[in-house]
Amino acid sequence: MALLEVADIHVFYDKIEALKGISLAVEEREIVTLVGGNGAGKSTTLRAISGLLHPRQGSIRFAGRSLAGLGAHEIAAGGVVHIPEGRRIFGRLTVNENLELGAFTRRDRRDVATDKEQMLVLFPRLRERLKQLAGTLSGGEQQMLAAARALMARPRVLLMDEPSMGLAPMLVEQVFETIGRINQQGVTILLVEQNAPMALGIANRGYVLESGRIVLDGPGRDLLDDERVRRAYLG
Amino acid sequence: MVGRNIARLNAVDVVLWGLRVGVVAVVVIGTVGTLIKGRYNAAQWFDFIMFGLTIGSIYAQIALGYTMVYGVLRLINFAHGDIVMTGAFAGYFVAMPLDRSGFLEDNPVLAMAAILLVAVIVSTSIAVLTERIAYRPFRRVVGLAPLICAIGVSFFLEQTFRGMFGSAVKSYPDPQWQRAAFHVFGFNVPRIDVLVIGLALIFMGLLYLIVQRTRMGTAMRAVAEDGEAAALMGIDVNKVVVFTFVLGGAMAGIAGVFYAFVYKQVYFLMGFTPGIKAFGAAVLGGIGNIPGAMLGGFFLGMVESVGPTLFLDGIGIPAPYQLRDLIAFTLLIMVLIFRPHGLLGEALAKKRA
Ligand SMILES: Nc1ncnc2c1ncn2[C@@H]1O[C@H](COP(=O)(O)OP(=O)(O)O)[C@@H](O)[C@H]1O
Ligand SMILES: [Mg+2]
Repeated sequence: MALLEVADIHVFYDKIEALKGISLAVEEREIVTLVGGNGAGKSTTLRAISGLLHPRQGSIRFAGRSLAGLGAHEIAAGGVVHIPEGRRIFGRLTVNENLELGAFTRRDRRDVATDKEQMLVLFPRLRERLKQLAGTLSGGEQQMLAAARALMARPRVLLMDEPSMGLAPMLVEQVFETIGRINQQGVTILLVEQNAPMALGIANRGYVLESGRIVLDGPGRDLLDDERVRRAYLG
Repeated sequence: MVGRNIARLNAVDVVLWGLRVGVVAVVVIGTVGTLIKGRYNAAQWFDFIMFGLTIGSIYAQIALGYTMVYGVLRLINFAHGDIVMTGAFAGYFVAMPLDRSGFLEDNPVLAMAAILLVAVIVSTSIAVLTERIAYRPFRRVVGLAPLICAIGVSFFLEQTFRGMFGSAVKSYPDPQWQRAAFHVFGFNVPRIDVLVIGLALIFMGLLYLIVQRTRMGTAMRAVAEDGEAAALMGIDVNKVVVFTFVLGGAMAGIAGVFYAFVYKQVYFLMGFTPGIKAFGAAVLGGIGNIPGAMLGGFFLGMVESVGPTLFLDGIGIPAPYQLRDLIAFTLLIMVLIFRPHGLLGEALAKKRA
């Protein structure tokens, strides 16, 4: 049984059906990516998994348990952590406070301190800026903070929504490198990207979304070589 | 060049400029006139200032409730002034028997602690109930409905208290020790003022520490900035909202008792005026801004206490002290017109940039 299982979910914004029956599965320790054009429903899928939206139909199971009826904060506390589109760090809080909030639901204060230290080793730029308001960070630094803050929760599954968005090409490389490293430490990753080549390159498996439906899925390499995917997303 | 600029002025600009110039003129001419006439001595000015600080510290405490709830829910809690009233009433029902038995006179510390404690418990419980019953169902509703709901809650509380305790004004106890004054450098410092200002500063300092240093306080600031992102951190937004109403309700209860001891009366509509003024103070400080609300409260109290005499006596208006509310509301309207983001608005905008 997969760690995260989404079965035939339908999600509506008022009367607009944004997801028309999405099913996907993510195995423990995998990197799975969702690619697709603007408005395909990638963010909506992640928002449904993390409990920000509730599917009208279908089910979402994590580690065998249904997530139906749980609030977003309960799902986060259960180990499914979502880094939303646009990073959404708390700009009026300090970098340190942002990191502490990442560990909001944890009670093991000593381990939290160790984890924070690890984050600061992984992202040394954040150490220099610990006392600064997070709103003063550059785009790349904010992405580091968003990732570090999410990792502070010790997630089992990390949902990442376009982590490379708006970053310079050199930083994009770094972001993907970091994703690989996080995954090697045992975190399962569901990655949403518009940068399909990079995402499919790093992922074990991928799903291609179009207007709220999955039109294609398979190993990352295969999708990368698929003629249809090439024409649609790789130019 | 000049001609074109004049042609571009429209009627609204002219009126606004007239208003600006008029108010500044009254303030400047009145102040100069008052000071030249010299009808008031230093001790009298000192009294005005002390009263301004006292009433200002009460406005500041009430303003905190408005600003925190606005920060977290983007809701103007129109009923917050009535929460102040419920605290004043609860305090009254403890203070009266304590006064009759002489306990309030003989054990001021214990008696005040009991009065404040009961007032805080009652005002906080009612504040939390209003959130749970009335505001929560409107949480995701956009438009004016939540504000109208808050106005309904305000009427409900007022009329409920009127129904339970009548519409007559009840006089608050007036113990001897409150009427006495300390004498410092020839000035009279009323004890009640020292008590109110001192305790208000302590409670507001505590609140500030809670908001800045504790886990829930940090969560509250996170929710105020981005509730959805906060939920993704595992923060239970409902709990944070309740926590916000607890803090605001507690401050309102304390403020209610102080307000009642200063004016020596309670009645079911007593929360309205300080409520509106404290809301104005919160806007003055930039709504959502916690230190701003405290500063706004003190500023408004000071203007309302010193302003009438300072500005109006000099231009020959008799008995200016009765025009306190006029001065207070003029200030609020001017701020809303000319600095809708509050007096600290600019600093805040820079901080966010
Ligand atoms: N808040 C919203 N209200 C209404 N429609 C929305 C909202 N968010 C997204 N949509 C619609 O849902 C569809 C999927 O959007 P989204 O999941 O954001 O796409 P993607 O992340 O793949 O770009 C789009 O057609 C979009 O217009
Ligand atoms: Mg998206």
